[in-house]
Amino acid sequence: MVIRDILEESMEKFSKLQAVKWLKKKEIQERSYRELWERVTKVRKGLLAEGFAGKHIALIGTSCVEWIESYLGIITGGAVAVPLDAALPAKELVDLLNRSDSEGLFLSPRHSALLEMLLAGCPKLQKVWMLGEPTAASDGEGAWDWRKASERMDSQDRLMEAGENSGEDALCPEPEAVATIIFTSGTTGKSKGVMLTQRNLAENVLAVNYRAKPGSVLLSVLPIHHAFCLVMDWLKGFSLGATVCVNDSLLHMVRNMGIFQPDVMLMVPMMIETLCKRLAAADPAIPKKALAANVFGGNLKIIFTGGAHLDPCYIVLLAGYGVEVLEGYGMSECSPVISCNMPEDHKDGSIGKPLANVCLAFEEGEILVKGSSVMKGYYKMPEETAETLRDGWLHTGDKGYLDEEGFLYINGRIKNLIILSNGENISPEEIENKLALGALVGEVIVTGEANGLTARIYPDQEVAAREALTEEEIRAKLQEFLDQYNKNEPTYRRITGLVVRKHPFLRSTTQKIRRQEALIDEPVLP
Amino acid sequence: MTREEQFKEIVAQYCKVLPEDMTENTRFREDLGFSSLDFMSFLGELEDTFDVELEEEEVLQVLTLGEALALLERMEA
Repeated sequence: MVIRDILEESMEKFSKLQAVKWLKKKEIQERSYRELWERVTKVRKGLLAEGFAGKHIALIGTSCVEWIESYLGIITGGAVAVPLDAALPAKELVDLLNRSDSEGLFLSPRHSALLEMLLAGCPKLQKVWMLGEPTAASDGEGAWDWRKASERMDSQDRLMEAGENSGEDALCPEPEAVATIIFTSGTTGKSKGVMLTQRNLAENVLAVNYRAKPGSVLLSVLPIHHAFCLVMDWLKGFSLGATVCVNDSLLHMVRNMGIFQPDVMLMVPMMIETLCKRLAAADPAIPKKALAANVFGGNLKIIFTGGAHLDPCYIVLLAGYGVEVLEGYGMSECSPVISCNMPEDHKDGSIGKPLANVCLAFEEGEILVKGSSVMKGYYKMPEETAETLRDGWLHTGDKGYLDEEGFLYINGRIKNLIILSNGENISPEEIENKLALGALVGEVIVTGEANGLTARIYPDQEVAAREALTEEEIRAKLQEFLDQYNKNEPTYRRITGLVVRKHPFLRSTTQKIRRQEALIDEPVLP
Repeated sequence: MTREEQFKEIVAQYCKVLPEDMTENTRFREDLGFSSLDFMSFLGELEDTFDVELEEEEVLQVLTLGEALALLERMEA
């Protein structure tokens, strides 16, 4: 079974149902399963006609119907889709495009400002297709005209025309062929491209044993380049015949819940926490049912959550408003779901039972996973692959245990990654390397607190003395430096706390900073 | 209620700081403990309350209450 088989079955069974809904100038737009499949087929045939069969094709953009059509066009025709985070700095996107050997790119017009740098920095890129219609930002007065920029520029519409005019369709890909490469934070500061095969994705979609009525409404609010969103909102949603609605911006999540009135949503814990703040701030005189209708749209019954730990108090709180929160566990390397609580089989505080296609083992407490959804490896990173995949077992870096009823629990981490409540995995080294470039930064360690990151900095004493800086001035200068750093980073990699240390960090005998003691700020005894 | 009072009332829904203790230099993330999503949700509420449309790219540069209020004033103008 591959993703194309699953989609073809859905397109046939649900052809008249709405597959996707989105907003355009505040009006709801719709695309049926039949229309969606016709457009996916045109993209697939267009890529074949233009010589992109089997090639790596990246996508940069936020959730939109054109993005998902292009993604499905790529993976149903045997090419390899590389979804990238549009919020990353241009320099990093260039690096990821080059490291993933991407030869084609679908780019949202909203991010057309990146074009010059991408075209200049990625010589392998043969073609860039602009997704959908130009926006005011990309097409306004004074905007750089991408159409005239390079012969490597084209549009998704033109690609689909080429597909329509071509008689030839791509063959259905083999189950063991790589379908997608998804980048994930590495513990050494270099992100890794997780290779997921057609079988990996298809088996994860089928193994998540959630059933919903065709036509159920799902509002997709997570970043589309993440495996959890891509596989569970979109691919799983389509397999069920659901109508997947696009959240156009996180600014409008609550408003869009009112407009689309979803039955089910996937969220990261941070979203649940924010919704609960809105509930708590409401007038206590408002009946819970009315308040739930106002905040959740009126039909929401289930929120699936994962990516980070959720305090069980939120599960209890939302149950009071008629919304069941079901926690799961996964990682990109497992396509991504490993275990999940289900409406008919769940236990609060646990992360559910392992999926039917997953085998679990434990090595000194670390959770090991084997099964048909476990990745093929990291793209062009044999050492990292060998370290993570040993004898077919994926080493998750998380510690956990199964209870007597078979529910899984997490109780620690082995890897040096910070897991924020928005599900983002942050490699502290990656940020520390950048912050260390600050003239006044002597030593720095980044830690994760509450919902954000804190930089713990021991100022460079020579610089401080040379400039005769007071404690206050040092703090102000460091904050200014952090503000400057934050400007170029996606929100989840921004530093929101600053601790100015009085003493250097404690070091091991090999002179490495003792990260686990980073919060201790005491003089080192001779 | 003035625009600023209304604005601070909305801010107060996301934190434990009282409106009277907020200044224009108060920072959303560092001083009020807003998560990135609290901030986005708050801006969505501002849009609905004051009937303005904010550009995501622009609002992501806002750090303080004063900056957010100034942006709001520009949008309303």
